[in-house]
Amino acid sequence: MFKIAVCIKAVPDPELASKIKIDPKTGSLIRTNIPLVINPLDRNALEAALNIKSTQGAEITVFSMGPPQADTTLKQCLALGADQGILLSDIAFAGADAYSTALTLASGIKKAGEFDLVICGVSSSDGATEWVGPEISVHLGLPVVTMVSEISELTPEMIQLKANIENGYRKMEVDLPALLTVTMELNTPKNLSFSGIIKAKKKEIAVWGIKDLDISENLVGLKGSPTIVTEMNPLEKKREIEFIEGDRTEKANILVSKLIDAGVI
Amino acid sequence: MDNNKGSVWVIAEQGKLGILDVSLQLIDKARQLADTLGSPVEVVSLGYQCELIGTQLIAAGADKVYIADDPATAVYQAELYTKIISQLFKQQQPNIVLVGSTFMGRELAPILAATLKTGLTAHCTDLCLDEKGILEQKIPAYGGMMTIVCPEKRPQMATVAKGVFGLPNPDNERTGEILTLEIPNDFKARIRTIEIVKEEVPSISLESADKIVAGGAGAQNIKGWNMIKELANLLGAGLGSTRPAVDEAWIKIDSMIGQSGKMVNPKLYIGIGLSGEQQHMVGIVDSEIMIAINNDEQSPVFSQVDYGIVDDCQLFLPELIKKLKAHQEQ
Amino acid sequence: MIDFNFTEEQDMFRKAAQEFTETFVVPEIAEMEKTAEVNTKVVKALGEAEMMAITIPEQYGGLGLGFTERLIALEEIGKASVATAMMLQVNHLGIAPIVNFGTETQKQKYLPKLASGESIATVAVTEATGGSNPGGCKTTYRKEGDNYILNGRKCFITNSHIADVLVVFAKDADNKEKKSFSTFIVEKDFSGFKATHVEHKIGMRGCNTGELSFDNCVVPAENLLDQEGKGMKVAMSAIGDVGRGGMVGCALGLQAACLEASIKFANERILYGKPIFELQTIQNKIADMKVDLEAGRLLGYRAAATQDAGKMAANEFAVAKYFTTEAVQKAAKVAIDIHGGYGCMEEYAVTRFLRDSAVIGPSAGTSDVMKIIIARWAVS
Repeated sequence: MFKIAVCIKAVPDPELASKIKIDPKTGSLIRTNIPLVINPLDRNALEAALNIKSTQGAEITVFSMGPPQADTTLKQCLALGADQGILLSDIAFAGADAYSTALTLASGIKKAGEFDLVICGVSSSDGATEWVGPEISVHLGLPVVTMVSEISELTPEMIQLKANIENGYRKMEVDLPALLTVTMELNTPKNLSFSGIIKAKKKEIAVWGIKDLDISENLVGLKGSPTIVTEMNPLEKKREIEFIEGDRTEKANILVSKLIDAGVI
Repeated sequence: MDNNKGSVWVIAEQGKLGILDVSLQLIDKARQLADTLGSPVEVVSLGYQCELIGTQLIAAGADKVYIADDPATAVYQAELYTKIISQLFKQQQPNIVLVGSTFMGRELAPILAATLKTGLTAHCTDLCLDEKGILEQKIPAYGGMMTIVCPEKRPQMATVAKGVFGLPNPDNERTGEILTLEIPNDFKARIRTIEIVKEEVPSISLESADKIVAGGAGAQNIKGWNMIKELANLLGAGLGSTRPAVDEAWIKIDSMIGQSGKMVNPKLYIGIGLSGEQQHMVGIVDSEIMIAINNDEQSPVFSQVDYGIVDDCQLFLPELIKKLKAHQEQ
Repeated sequence: MIDFNFTEEQDMFRKAAQEFTETFVVPEIAEMEKTAEVNTKVVKALGEAEMMAITIPEQYGGLGLGFTERLIALEEIGKASVATAMMLQVNHLGIAPIVNFGTETQKQKYLPKLASGESIATVAVTEATGGSNPGGCKTTYRKEGDNYILNGRKCFITNSHIADVLVVFAKDADNKEKKSFSTFIVEKDFSGFKATHVEHKIGMRGCNTGELSFDNCVVPAENLLDQEGKGMKVAMSAIGDVGRGGMVGCALGLQAACLEASIKFANERILYGKPIFELQTIQNKIADMKVDLEAGRLLGYRAAATQDAGKMAANEFAVAKYFTTEAVQKAAKVAIDIHGGYGCMEEYAVTRFLRDSAVIGPSAGTSDVMKIIIARWAVS
């Protein structure tokens, strides 16, 4: 029976996220009410854990660092088949960069117990650094492989897998316990099911704050972040747009003649 | 430790033909930053049978080069590379470390950053120094540009993609120091590479294409994507994409143009069914004529191109393709 | 004070229904439109996604959920495909009399396979004599030994050719003094039963509608539902809440689809140098559709919540059914208008919405029948 930790981030729905913009007057984000969803690659991470659960048996704990409303996404993870959830939520965690996010998650995982596998998505759709998974592995003292696209074998001692590289892949063997970051090629996540949602009612989500973790307040959140955003500038307009108008046939004709004039065809 | 004058480092990655272009580009940038700071440029590179690497790095702009040339470091191994480089950094106390956004870089850099308890910025599209000599790391975000700094922790680390900066002109008259790194002999690997499998690289490399057609989520489905592909073929253009097209598996990730993909510089760029997100648009380093086809008149892409067509691409493209074919038959 | 919020679980059910629709229904819509045939992939997926099991009690393999969860599922599926939502809702309609009136034996025999989707159900009441007048039905039954023998024809039956289990409403052939009705569970393999003519509907293509023929159809006596003479109660009980509630789901989904398509087109279509959405006349039409959607949702979910709380909500469902199905017929026409000339072109989904809306109206009771029920409620 494997003990697996899966790290989840609640992100603004990527299909709607392009609506978040920088306000040119204030330099801060104009946040519209975009619903939070499970970061898409984290669903692949959870699916990997669920596949191990169904073939070899596993107990899956999902971890997330986020605001209180992120518990909805953790509940979805329980509905998808995770056994329990731990939400790391505290005002002290706010403003964290990748480093202090990883440190906070690692502290939560350490506090929860010993895991055979820690699985993360390669990156989040909003932060998109790819740093959090590997940095968690350092704080937990685990070997890490990123960009995992296939898992071929798993025993209590080791895991055999494929990880993407430029124009190909490397086939690896890693001693357990280990941390993996996974790509979307690894699997096709199953949809939420009605019965899963019913079963999830009996599962628990614990909410832990800074006081629950064995870590100083100075090492988390904004205080613990080595990097900081100093400026946000909306884009300067460099080109003057000319809209091509008319009905479809006219537009196509005009476009072709513009391409001819520019010498590209 | 207040270290704004210390050396500017690059972790240089080796490929089959020597140092990767991205590392050479970063050395050139490191040279510029170092000259402003009045500091040296130092480079570390691990590999095997790489006797000429040191000279190549110095010609590119390095003052001091640390090389590991050993069967143990022939293939990238995260734990060993981390051990060697972090030990070196703890001794040498770099001020700035630049790493290419390759698959290796994107795994090794965060491991090093966490090991050294310092900050790391991903996929920077520009680097400069502020009045105190602190590195300003620029990345595209939320339709604009974000500046990130690592004010206190050292080294200040950043990853940068190939093509953001230019290649240096190798100066074979340059001199510098080449030092050999010791390989720790008490090292036990928990990660083992069994096999490396690489595929053929496609013939039209996007980075050198002079015409590019790029598609995004607005293609809606494979039917729409195939229309975009047909247009690219008709024009003899390279076919690129934004991330949604990769997520939908219409195209492979090595055709993705943008901050964490390819940087391009075509004469003609046509963006179809994409919203002009900065993560993609910064990939277009420059272009003479830019065109966008999108069904939303309010789409941000229209403020970044020369010509715009507001229409559903699945309905407009067949018309355009018809006209192009007619023109080509003349 | 009333809480107008859905619970967290209900929000998750909605998300699950959306994911299901996106994954399994949307890719098959073009095929369904082209062939007008029931898509077996979709039916299988509905079963595997537990959509058939929503209102079946847990001890028979169902999910034991309520009318609210059912409405959520139908609404989300209906946004993409009214045909699929209709197929599913009528399936529930055939299941309900067995749940409400079945003996333990009957429930054990039929419900588990209905829950898993292995069996499909329907209810067969309507005849050429008029669905609005079930009392005028001419299909008869008579007892012969251990069996009932059914004779007659049913028409406009949804799921006619895919149903394995049919709940059939018939008149006592032997009772000459007064009309007496009974309801039976008929299996498609019973001798004398045949699904005959398939209707070619202008809308809801992908949902099968057709005729049934009972020609000395032999039904074992143990397949009588409830008691002889109670047929009207048994067959019609579910029409009021399950049947009407199901149409509300179809109508709300289609209403939302009309609104979304109209907004999308209005933002894309440039006239006089700007999107037509900026024209007040278009905004008026959009606003009307939005008001009807909001009102319809409130009426529908109010009825469902009332039913879930244990109170009969047939009247509330009648109001919701009347309102939402009338509204969506308007909305579909307005959506066509907003699309201008493009609204006549098959490749635009709004043309399918118009055809689907035409079939929604008379299903599960016409608006005129709804008004009789509502008037009765008003004076009661």
